[in-house]
Amino acid sequence: MLFANKNLKLLSFLALLLILAAFAMVLFYAPIELNMGIVQKVFYFHVSAAWIGMLAFLVAAVCGIVYLNKKQLKFDHIAFSAVEIGLLFTAIANFTGMIWAKPIWNTWWTWDPRLTTMTIMAFTYIGYLLLRRGVDNPEKRARFGSVYAIIGFASVPLTFFSSRLLRTIHPTIFGADTGDMAMIPAMYQTMGVSIIAFTFLFAALLWHRSILAARESELDTLRAQTEALEFGEVLDD
Amino acid sequence: MSLAIRQVSKSFGQHHVLNSLDLELKPGELLCLLGRNGAGKTTLLRILTGLLRPEAGSVWLENQQIDYAEPHARHDIGLVMHQPFLYEHLTGIENLRFYARLYQVADDKTALEAASARVGMQRFAHKPVRAYSRGMKQRLTIARALLHSPRILLLDEPYTGLDLQGSQTFNQLMLEQKQQGRIILMTTHDLSHALPISSRFAFLARGRVSDELTNQNLSLENIETWLAQKLAKPVSAQKGAAA
Amino acid sequence: MKDWLHSVRALVWKDLLQEWRSKDMLTAMFAFAILTLFIFNYAIELSPVNRAEIASGIIWVVIVFAGTLGLNRSFTSEQDQGCFDALVMAVPDVSAIYFGKMLTNWLVMLFVSLLILPIYSLLYNQSLFNAGFILVLVLGAWCYSAAGTLIAGMTVQTRMRDLLLPILLFPILMPVNMAVVKAAGGILAGAPLVNVQAWLVLLAAYGIIVTTVSILVFEYVIRE
Repeated sequence: MLFANKNLKLLSFLALLLILAAFAMVLFYAPIELNMGIVQKVFYFHVSAAWIGMLAFLVAAVCGIVYLNKKQLKFDHIAFSAVEIGLLFTAIANFTGMIWAKPIWNTWWTWDPRLTTMTIMAFTYIGYLLLRRGVDNPEKRARFGSVYAIIGFASVPLTFFSSRLLRTIHPTIFGADTGDMAMIPAMYQTMGVSIIAFTFLFAALLWHRSILAARESELDTLRAQTEALEFGEVLDD
Repeated sequence: MSLAIRQVSKSFGQHHVLNSLDLELKPGELLCLLGRNGAGKTTLLRILTGLLRPEAGSVWLENQQIDYAEPHARHDIGLVMHQPFLYEHLTGIENLRFYARLYQVADDKTALEAASARVGMQRFAHKPVRAYSRGMKQRLTIARALLHSPRILLLDEPYTGLDLQGSQTFNQLMLEQKQQGRIILMTTHDLSHALPISSRFAFLARGRVSDELTNQNLSLENIETWLAQKLAKPVSAQKGAAA
Repeated sequence: MKDWLHSVRALVWKDLLQEWRSKDMLTAMFAFAILTLFIFNYAIELSPVNRAEIASGIIWVVIVFAGTLGLNRSFTSEQDQGCFDALVMAVPDVSAIYFGKMLTNWLVMLFVSLLILPIYSLLYNQSLFNAGFILVLVLGAWCYSAAGTLIAGMTVQTRMRDLLLPILLFPILMPVNMAVVKAAGGILAGAPLVNVQAWLVLLAAYGIIVTTVSILVFEYVIRE
């Protein structure tokens, strides 16, 4: 069963269409930037992926807060799914960033604030997944995951400010303090469509993954019950 | 002035440990909780401490629902669990001093030495706990639980590790506590020791109190037969009876 | 509030006394710190020229590594003896437990720094006893204990325990590392405090944010 319900089916196809549209706009609509050339085109998806990375962490932190208040495991499933997807998009943002950085900055890696923050954030995500693997009890796993997602998210802006205080050579596009990358309307439009497309893709993936997480949790419960029966642990009832 | 447990339910996953359990205890009463392993005795005690939240039901003291968020409500409870809650590197007296300070009761040397003497630990009070035997730890943890004169005592297997003398000391303490009007709920498998101090026995099965027996000059044989009957009943038969 | 402070004081007293009795943790932290210092000595050629610039980085790394050993131990006595339950029953609010542990960890870190600084000064003939430098260390150790106590409270209850703590803690601590090393480096190079003000503000902000968030969520770390 690929689609659990009609709305999810609709969302998934919408996401697919938008991604195709974004692809087309990047390839055929957006102009080739004068200074940087064709490689600049990677940045539409780079920025979108980075945005999803942040959004995913925000979703995980918010779901963490909701979980701690309501104690309903479905919020933990969403938080966990968001982190997994967020990690994927953070990796995409990092790799596309490297592809762009090599010809432009002439290096694969720099200690640029955004790049550094993004990478440290990825490590926080990895830590989150490891923490969950270390806890067997689903209720405790959800509690710890929530706490870590909250504190991890709180540290992200601080990491960003501190690495910005250190130095920056990254082009600032939004709220530009230096004008090192001038964008024309066609570029803005492509950027906007990409970000919207990625956001829809994220929503669809998150929905699918959360359903899967809920199924996994059901399976765990069933498995625990079977084991308990086999070992005769359930003496009463 | 009694402790009432009303319609308390708790399940772990699909496993219903407590199922609309009702129980009432009067001041000066010591209730001995019996049941198979996994019947939910410890779960019930943990719910009464407030450390575990039930899915449904409530606990009332003096016709007021206990609000475990209130520090005073938690201070009304003295607790002996499977683990002794003691710090290995500190001496017996230092452990008691730490808890006395947390509860803000007298923490001077005389008071604490008196507290450890009550459980017969005066000789070892200044030795580090890591040198204690299981029974000595158990004695000290009983002193720890009584330190702040709680109105309710929750004791999970208090006889664990205690020698004959220790058990007698414990029984003596419990009789004093009963006279002072404390409410005591205890689980144990040691019927011979529990018999002289228990006011009542309750048998826990299928997540509720399935039967009770008031201790009116019961002999050990009486209670053992009663318990054997309860335990002999196959689970499936009980299921049928309940359904 | 008075009860709360009272419990915090009792908790700090108990933890420090326990540590004083065993000295396991302090000995291990101290030995580890000295050994790390020696490793740095051979790994990085500490010539008198570059010494001044990298001293702050080395000192901080030594303290962070030794601090991790301490954090790993800070909850073991509670976890192994099941004392969390007894503490929750006794304190007016669970945040007192966090605050007490945080203070203890902070004090232990400062104590280890107090031992390391004269040894470094002696070995490399470079005095580190500078009011500004010590202020940075005090702030940095606070931020470190604030985040570390929360994370250690969780990792002690997991299967991987010691293994997990640095993996979870270090990414969150990155801003502290940058701020301490930059601020302390600046001060040792002779810059006035005003020049590193931004870093000091960042450390204070980090400490306040992380301590506040931890006080709010710590209940969920030790209670069901």
